[in-house]
Amino acid sequence: MNQNMDSSYRRERPQEIRQIIETLKAPIIQLGKKIGVEIIEDYDQGAGPIDVLWTFKPGSEALPDIRMGFVCIPIITTAEEDYSEFTINEIIIKSMMNIVDKLVIVVPAENMAKRIIDSIESMPNSSFLQLRKYVTVLTPSTLVPKTDVLRSRERKEEGEMIE
Amino acid sequence: MARINEERHYDDIVKHNNNNNNNSNRNFNNTSSTGDFLSQLDQSLSYSIEKDVDYGYGKVDAIWHISFHPSLPSSKFGFVKIQSQERGGKGTDQDWKDNQYSLRKIEEAIGRGIRSGCDKVFLVADNEEMAKSISGRIEWLSSFGSIIRFDAVSTGVSPNQQKPSTITPSQERLPEGEKIRKEDMREREQKFDKYNRPQGERAEQESNEKKLEREIQLDENSRPIGQKK
Repeated sequence: MNQNMDSSYRRERPQEIRQIIETLKAPIIQLGKKIGVEIIEDYDQGAGPIDVLWTFKPGSEALPDIRMGFVCIPIITTAEEDYSEFTINEIIIKSMMNIVDKLVIVVPAENMAKRIIDSIESMPNSSFLQLRKYVTVLTPSTLVPKTDVLRSRERKEEGEMIE
Repeated sequence: MARINEERHYDDIVKHNNNNNNNSNRNFNNTSSTGDFLSQLDQSLSYSIEKDVDYGYGKVDAIWHISFHPSLPSSKFGFVKIQSQERGGKGTDQDWKDNQYSLRKIEEAIGRGIRSGCDKVFLVADNEEMAKSISGRIEWLSSFGSIIRFDAVSTGVSPNQQKPSTITPSQERLPEGEKIRKEDMREREQKFDKYNRPQGERAEQESNEKKLEREIQLDENSRPIGQKK
């Protein structure tokens, strides 16, 4: 799958960044296994690697497979934040070229996620490409089901019904 | 990063109109720099050029706002210069050695243009070979069934370019070549038919005189050189 990889993507990532990416990837893979989707790591059709890809059938053989791509941005220093737009531009086009139906950008911190969401939502309305429905930005903690919160909500709803 | 509202009044817009028809000859050969190239456009069109635009998604070197007709919305053509050195000093000068830009640079430049609201994005390379390489890569990647046919939106250009940088697909090139080959083959077959013994129905239809004449000619011409009369 990686045989077409461009030389610019073949560059070795530093150990620290690789570790952060692995940390960001872990809950995605775990969740994917839990819900039973096919998982491909470093998926690449020639446009560059997508860190994790979920492929699943939406219920019928007649319907096409849905591909959800996850790309992790390991921002560790403030200096790299200046280049986030560069990275986001590249990730979006890369995932479209790799025929990914939905893109999820995974970042380590909430403030970074907010910055990217703001950037995507502020795109001009006149543009033929509206990325609001294509790109989702998450942190790994958002992916973990907040069972306690749900339970309390369920309890509240039950209580309301009893009253 | 200063975000500029899209609907702002462009202070730095260079306006051109129909009165400037004297300079309408586009001569890219005389273009000394990429900047000059980006400022040139057929003067018969009503257009405005915006330079060094940044809406918050990265710098677009020039945007041409072209009005084709008063009742039609204007088109935005974005020009992004691709440089050997990546921003932030991450890249190397490998691009110059290979004479082709890396995929990530091409993808980033397309993304920058599209996110800035451009209808078409032209990636400006230093020479024609690099422009062709960019166009080829975009076409190749779009051919897999990408959600957007990026080759319809984006292409590589160079300041000294005279021809389109898109590569003519073999499907368009082949039929003409095929025709020429078939014409040659038909001519050759006609020659064979003229001098060789006819087969099938044609052999039965042939008159005795013609048959005799042909057999004499065949007998004469098929002899070795020294035995010829």
